[in-house]
Amino acid sequence: MATEFHNLQELRHSASLANKVFVQRDYSEGTTCKFQTKFPSELESRIERTLFEDTVKTLNNYYAEAEKIGGQSYLEGCLACATAYLIFLCMETRYEKVLKKIAKYIQEQNEKVYAPRGLLITDPIERGMRVIEISIYEDRGSSGSSSGSSSVSGSTAR
Amino acid sequence: MPDSAGKRFKPTKYIPVSTAAALLVGSTTLFFVFTCPWLTKVISPAVPLYNGLVFLFVLANFSLATFMDPGVYPRADEDEDKDDDFRAPLYKNVEIKGIQVRMKWCATCHFYRPPRCSHCSVCDNCVEDFDHHCPWVNNCIGRRNYRYFFLFLLSLTIHMVGVFSFGLIFVLHHRERLATLHTTVTLVVMCIAGLFFIPVMGLTGFHMVLVARGRTTNEQVTGKFRGGVNPFTRGCCGNVEYVLCSPLAPRYTLDPRKKPHVKIQPPFIRPDLSDRQITIKVSDNGIQGIISSKSKCSLDGLDDKETQPPLPPKADRYNQLKGPVTSSEDSSLSGKTHPSTPAMYKYRPSFGTIPKVHYHAAGEKVSHDTSAILEEGVRGHDYRSEPNLDLPEYTNTPLHRSFQSSPLQLDSDPINSRSLSLKQQGHRRPEKGQLPALQPHAVTSTPYKSVFSPNTLSNRNGSLSYDSLLNPSISPATANECMAHRGMHATGFHSPYLPTKMCHIREPEMQRQQVATAYSPVMPPRGMGRQSPHPRDRDPSPVRYDNLSQTIMASIQERKEIEEREKRQMLQGRSQTHIYAQDSGVFDGGYVLSHNACYPDGPRGPVSRGPTSTNSSQGRPHSPAMPRSPSYSHQKFSYISALERTDSPRLGGPREAMKVNGQTDCHPSTHQGATHSPSRHSNVKKVTGVGGTTYEISV
Repeated sequence: MATEFHNLQELRHSASLANKVFVQRDYSEGTTCKFQTKFPSELESRIERTLFEDTVKTLNNYYAEAEKIGGQSYLEGCLACATAYLIFLCMETRYEKVLKKIAKYIQEQNEKVYAPRGLLITDPIERGMRVIEISIYEDRGSSGSSSGSSSVSGSTAR
Repeated sequence: MPDSAGKRFKPTKYIPVSTAAALLVGSTTLFFVFTCPWLTKVISPAVPLYNGLVFLFVLANFSLATFMDPGVYPRADEDEDKDDDFRAPLYKNVEIKGIQVRMKWCATCHFYRPPRCSHCSVCDNCVEDFDHHCPWVNNCIGRRNYRYFFLFLLSLTIHMVGVFSFGLIFVLHHRERLATLHTTVTLVVMCIAGLFFIPVMGLTGFHMVLVARGRTTNEQVTGKFRGGVNPFTRGCCGNVEYVLCSPLAPRYTLDPRKKPHVKIQPPFIRPDLSDRQITIKVSDNGIQGIISSKSKCSLDGLDDKETQPPLPPKADRYNQLKGPVTSSEDSSLSGKTHPSTPAMYKYRPSFGTIPKVHYHAAGEKVSHDTSAILEEGVRGHDYRSEPNLDLPEYTNTPLHRSFQSSPLQLDSDPINSRSLSLKQQGHRRPEKGQLPALQPHAVTSTPYKSVFSPNTLSNRNGSLSYDSLLNPSISPATANECMAHRGMHATGFHSPYLPTKMCHIREPEMQRQQVATAYSPVMPPRGMGRQSPHPRDRDPSPVRYDNLSQTIMASIQERKEIEEREKRQMLQGRSQTHIYAQDSGVFDGGYVLSHNACYPDGPRGPVSRGPTSTNSSQGRPHSPAMPRSPSYSHQKFSYISALERTDSPRLGGPREAMKVNGQTDCHPSTHQGATHSPSRHSNVKKVTGVGGTTYEISV
């Protein structure tokens, strides 16, 4: 049972959602999109601190790039004005492009780093960019409880 | 015509936007049809071209302002708010470029609104960088569409100026033929343009100022940064650049895209144990020491927030200490950081003297508390109170148990326990475990000193006050100290709640006094009644504790002053006490028992702050409350006496009076009543109650 592969979206025969951690926004620099790199305690036993911080820092960089006011954003604005905003129907804005990159990055991180540790990152855009939601999964086979993630450490994956 | 889906189709909300669109399109069309041909001929074909372009620009911006998503936040998932909802303080502080900004809890959307976000009641959504809800476009103006709205205003102004000027040129050249159709129509168009020119120009100018200052309409109108610094400004040029040139923000409410599947399959990789070193952080208040094992990171986050200066609390919500504390069920702090809790840390050290031991001795069922308590040092005790606050329902059963063990319980045991539990619920999540724990002690150590008395009173202010409850055997000084501290919090917060609790407290006490039987039938319903509003009052709007520091200091000073005053008054006002005690009508009038026959009934109104003065001026108008008054007065006696025994100097004026009565006579002589009223009107004394609530009582 523990070795069966199951799609996360389907019935999880071997892992169950135990808890969710929410990484909040860091507003110290204003309303620009930036997430706190503070390591949540629930993840202490699940993932190395450095890996987590790398992920969040990369995401922050992506968002900073998306929100940068510079040449490309000027151009986009002028073009949009000139075409009476019809350009939005055909073209993807810069932010949307970066969001796609972010989605890909998160997907990759999930596959390579987080899923093997029983974690799953949800794209912040689905939460209105207010939080990064990290779902913590437990090995259902070894532990019957689905309460705090801290209890997960007690159950060893086989 | 409401539809079944619940979203009513309100045609009235489309009237302004339809009017605006009709006027805009209609007038411009008339202008082009009647005025432009002549202008093209006489002046230049560039005129209609110019006007056409401007009009197109106006239309495009108008359409985008109308139809574009302003930046609506989707509702938070249940998972995200499960710890936040009931126990959350109303505000959370966040520091932005060195300036404290409050984030308010949105009860509809279930999250703390990000800075500059506001909930639009028309659209029933939280909108990012909320500016205002514009009826002329029937849409909220927020982060995503502010630029288009602003450009719409600018372009509309230009368009109106253009139409008016060209119309004027036309009319001036056709003065002699004013009655012709073309001229008449042009005149009409000019009138419309002229009529709307002033308001539109005014609005445009207003928004130009806002853009230059980097503020939203909402911030300007609510005066958020009046006299203060705006943390969101980037300088005038930066602000203009931000409005006009920033990239288009993404939509948050898109349909969920199909996410690629990610397999989650055990075995899971775990980091090395060495990576999970847990360091115990021992801080002065001991709270962090307890928590650190589980939530070191949370504490780190909390630490950051500790530096935030307390913000003024919401008067009507003083609940709850937030989250991490609440999840004390498993003695572990959740990862959530709750700024309110750290702020409290600063003021906890004084509570350290309260021994935690009591909790355990109580052998209370508060299993989670017990374990947590064991870990904590004395100082942790204060912290413990916080988590308990969060579980209002929790206490009922233990309370009952503890009550019954108390010798103080008379036949009104069930009532007492009920009232206690009610009280518990009324509190904003008092420490559940702690209260029950307290009971046994109260019973054994000081039978008279009702468990309720000083401690329960202190509970009123919330979690903080429970400490004294837990340790009935605490020396009066300590208890007072604790109460004082709690009072500090309370002072800042919720005097309204205090009275209610006091009422509840008084009930059992009253029973003790043994006039109980007569009143007991009265009490439970009252208690219940009184109780009911509180949870409802509290739940939707938790209180912030962030400003405890200032509040606490203020209340400490206040308390000192009050104590001194009380001492003075005690010497003078002995005669008054009887009057207070006995004239139940007086009580009702004087103490704002009016609301619910509850000594300062907080939720009903700003009672605690100045009820007596108003009431005394009213005389005794509270007839509904009258029937209850006798019980109240008795309750007061018991309350006072209990208080007095605990030697809590914080009793307010009336209570002080009661104190005397309680000591001397539970049944104040009626003859004193007459003299009472005038004296009542003489001073208005600000008194801090046991629970730390501050009342203004006319003495």
